[in-house]
Formats: sequence, C-alpha cells, structure tokens
Amino acid sequence: MSEATKGSRSRAAKGTSSKETSSEMLRLLVDNLKDYAITMLDPKGTVTSWSPAAERLKGYRSNEIIGKHFSTFYTPEDSASGKTERELEIAAREGRFEDEGWRIRKDGSKFWANVIITALRDESGKVIGFGKVTRDLSERKQAEEQIRQQSREILEMATVPVVQVWEGILLVPLIGVLDSERSQQLMERLLERITETGSPVALVDITGVPAIDTKTAQHLVETVKAVRFVGADVVLTGVRPAIAQTLVHLGIDLSTVTTRSSLSAGLRVAFAMMDLHVGAAQAVAH
Amino acid sequence: MNRETITVIKVRDVLLVTMPADPDDATISALQEKTLEAMEQHEVKGLILDLSKVDTLDSYFARTVTETGKMVGLMGGETIIAGMRPAVAITATQLGLNLGITQTALSVDEGLNLIGRNWRGFHK
Repeated sequence: MSEATKGSRSRAAKGTSSKETSSEMLRLLVDNLKDYAITMLDPKGTVTSWSPAAERLKGYRSNEIIGKHFSTFYTPEDSASGKTERELEIAAREGRFEDEGWRIRKDGSKFWANVIITALRDESGKVIGFGKVTRDLSERKQAEEQIRQQSREILEMATVPVVQVWEGILLVPLIGVLDSERSQQLMERLLERITETGSPVALVDITGVPAIDTKTAQHLVETVKAVRFVGADVVLTGVRPAIAQTLVHLGIDLSTVTTRSSLSAGLRVAFAMMDLHVGAAQAVAH
Repeated sequence: MNRETITVIKVRDVLLVTMPADPDDATISALQEKTLEAMEQHEVKGLILDLSKVDTLDSYFARTVTETGKMVGLMGGETIIAGMRPAVAITATQLGLNLGITQTALSVDEGLNLIGRNWRGFHK
C-alpha cells in the first residue's frame, strides 16, 4: 500500500498524465475505504476486481474470489431463486440497483448488507461491467431488532396491563380504544395471568376506554365467559354514565356480568367474593 | 389398546372425575355414563370435573359437559368444572359453550372449597 502511495506520488511529481494520476488516486480511495467494500463485476457478474475493504468484510483474498460469480456472497436460497441475475438486469436497465439483505462471508457467517450495484457503460452505451458497493449494516440491523423487540414488549405491557392488587385479585386498567385485536390480547393475557397466579377474581376497569360499541361489548362479554370457564370471575368497573347510557341504548345485555361504576366499588365486590372484610381498625388506645 | 381413560374417584362426599389430555369420542361418551352411574351408586353432593389435563375441546365434548352437568343437577348434585386451561377456555367461548348451572373453579382444590361452601348454603 505504502509502495503504491509512493509510486503515485513520484509519478505525479514527474508530471505523468493527469488521467493516470486520477485513476491511481481512485484506486487508492477504493483500497483505503474502510466501511465500503467496492468490487467490480463483468457484465455476467464475475468478480474482476477486489479491494482490501471487501476482503475485510467478506473474508476472501483477491486470488480466491476474482473470477468467481458474485452469487458466492448470497444465501443458497437467494442464488437459487435467480436473485443475482435479476439484480444485474435491473442495474443494466435502470443504471442502478439497491438492496438490503443477508449476505454470506467466506466462513459461512451472515451479515446484513446494503448493496448498490451500478452499471458501467462504454462510450457507445454498452454495459461493460458493474460496480458494486457493499456496506455491513449488521450492527444497525441488530440495534433495530432490539428496539423493535423492546417496543413490542412495552406495547404489550401497555396494551393489556395485568396487575395483582391483592392476593387472588387481578386488576386490568384499560386505557384507550378497545379494538378486536386488543380485546383478543386482553382475553389471552388475562386468562394466562389468572391461571398463573391462581386468582379467582379479576377487575377489568374501563374508566379510560373512551367509547364502547356493540362489538367491544361483545368482546368483553366473551372475555368474561372465558374467565368463568377457567374458574374465575370478572368485575367490570369504571362504567361511567355515558357508557351506561350507550350500553342501554345499544341494547347490549351485560346482565351476566357484575358491573360497578367505580374501581373502589368493584374492589369491595371482589373482597366480598373472596370472603374478605374491610373495616376500620380498632384504635389501639381504645 | 392403550387409550387414556376417565377416572372417577369418590372422595368423601364428592366425586372427582378426571378427563385425559386428548379424549376421543368414545371416552367422551363414557364420561356421561360413568358419571351418572357413580351418582346413582354413591350419595354425594356433586362432582368435580377435572379438565386440567385437557388441551383440546370440540363441540361434542363441550355439549357432553353441559348435558352431563344438567343431568347431574336433575339427580340432585352440583357440578364444578375445575382447572380448564386458558386455550381451552378460549375455544369453549368460540364454540359458544354454555355452562348453565355448572360452576367453575381454578383447580380441584378450589372446587372442593366451592362445593363445601355452597352445600352449607353460604352462597345463595
């Protein structure tokens, strides 16, 4: 590398043609780029030039890979499906092709790559080869996955939070619109938690649910049924005046469900179901 | 033939009926016969149907459970379904299983508490 640098310098100093100098400098740039593996392909996709960055990224030495088809870097499924041919076809037609996906290193390990293939044409417009720039985005991909996983977990927790408020009593404070998907999650998570904790009573609080329609009510009734099947019961709390009005006007029958307007009233019902009694403690001094 | 079968055990004044994990139709119809037979033989308050092993439920099974509960009721006993798993409960809801007078409990243990309480007239 240093020899090449020296060579180019001395030649530049001697005043070699500027074209040669610029192509030499370009080669230096390609060789020294750390994160961009630049390779050249012939029109059929055979590797014709290799760079140190490409070697670092993919593990092949130039004598091992020059002359091989670039499908070597693709997963067996991708190369079998003709992905590589398609990519060259698009690059030739549109001038450029960009893709993100899994690629394979020499040692068989995978990395998440951003790949840009650019068609190179001669003066007559004939494709004489392709330039291929590959970047390793594995770290970014991993970080994205992690964030996605975390937000999924947070979302799940926030969607249907199930809290144990007393031995044998669970509380589900629902906030926001209750659509079909969320109702399904509510049913699954609640049943799971009930059987896990062996809790005979669950308080489902809908104070924070803006509106109830026929479908939502139907979901709630089904949830209550399912909870009864596993051997527990539900007290529906937070039935505000507006919600009570809607339910009656829509003709929704919740007579099989124990309902209360406030969470505290519901908690009292739950205590009664569990044969627990709440009373003011006798003053010690008494 | 190595079929898992129903067990019916009398514990004090309760019948404990345990269903196998994946009962076939013959096993399900045996549930009704065996249960009613045992109800006739022993003087019991009722029965606890332990479904904690069961991981699949079809409409025939659901109907048999409901019917058996009603029949046991006619013979003067109460039925408590115990230990139904969440997945089975969801299926039961989708199948429109109607328990009627049949009660449920989280476990056989809880079921025994329930039978005792109801019999002494604490509830209702």
